[in-house]
Amino acid sequence: MHIMEGFLPWQWCIVWWLIAIPCLALGVWQLKKIIHADREALPLLGVTGGFIFILSSLKLPSVTGSCSHPTGTGLSAICFGPWITSVICAIVLLFQSLFLAHGGLSVLGANIVSMGIVGPVIGYAVYRLLKNTSVNIYLTVFLATALADMFTYATTSLELALAYPAEIGGFGTSFILFMGIFAVTQVPLAIVEGIVLALVFKYIIALKPDILIRLKIFSEAQITTARGDA
Amino acid sequence: MMVKTYLLEILTAVAILAFIAIFLYTSSTMEGAEFAGSDNVGSGLIAELSGKDPESFAPLIPQWEPPSGEIESCLFALQAAIGGIFVGGVFGYWLGQRKSMSDAKVNR
Repeated sequence: MHIMEGFLPWQWCIVWWLIAIPCLALGVWQLKKIIHADREALPLLGVTGGFIFILSSLKLPSVTGSCSHPTGTGLSAICFGPWITSVICAIVLLFQSLFLAHGGLSVLGANIVSMGIVGPVIGYAVYRLLKNTSVNIYLTVFLATALADMFTYATTSLELALAYPAEIGGFGTSFILFMGIFAVTQVPLAIVEGIVLALVFKYIIALKPDILIRLKIFSEAQITTARGDA
Repeated sequence: MMVKTYLLEILTAVAILAFIAIFLYTSSTMEGAEFAGSDNVGSGLIAELSGKDPESFAPLIPQWEPPSGEIESCLFALQAAIGGIFVGGVFGYWLGQRKSMSDAKVNR
């Protein structure tokens, strides 16, 4: 999902930075608030953020014959909302821009929007929609994390299609072409990511159910049922 | 009962095995599959759409590049290790917390 340094015209770099900055500011503010309010939320932040570090470093081969990496952002979006997740993603993406030549400082805004904002917002929206329904917790986590991953790559395609509309067919044609590269490659990775993170969530529930209840991520009744079934 | 208790573990194992099987199949049958990063494939398409040479896209902000694939994979491993320390550390902390809580109950 990284747009490479130099591959986005500077006008678009500014547009995406302008979208990213307020989200990051909101995230930093929320992060400060939650750290002051509940010290026991910090370990949960460590686990969910840790998975973003791990999963986004794994470049996995896919059916299209190219490699791509999962994002791992869904779990953090479920537990802390999209804006705190944006801050963690910004740290990872900054590391990758500075030391790995994956992305770059000018395109960092665009990459934060795809991985740190749109993906987590979609993941969080899916979780909020399904939270108070009878849908199983693990299915909710699976859908939220897999869709956060997919939409990150759809956003990268959108960002590139906006900057590089095709001569014939314009934006639409470009979007389909970029989706063909990014989104198709991502489908199997997103499915595996969703299942793995659902399993991780099972272990969080097993070890520290009280923090999930206290932060109102799921209700006590839902957690009790989930501990019973899986 | 066993299946129900470990359903997610079983599903995870099946998904990972299926993923590996698909990879082994595509890597042996697909022609021209180089398993390059989709980022690079995307950049190739950008060059094609804009009608410019891929080499002509110079960084807008100067950038350090890892001098070799080895150094790049070292830094990627470092990133994963940092994440692993957080995850492992917290799970250990929670396990210890739970143990000390149940010990406290027994002592009371």
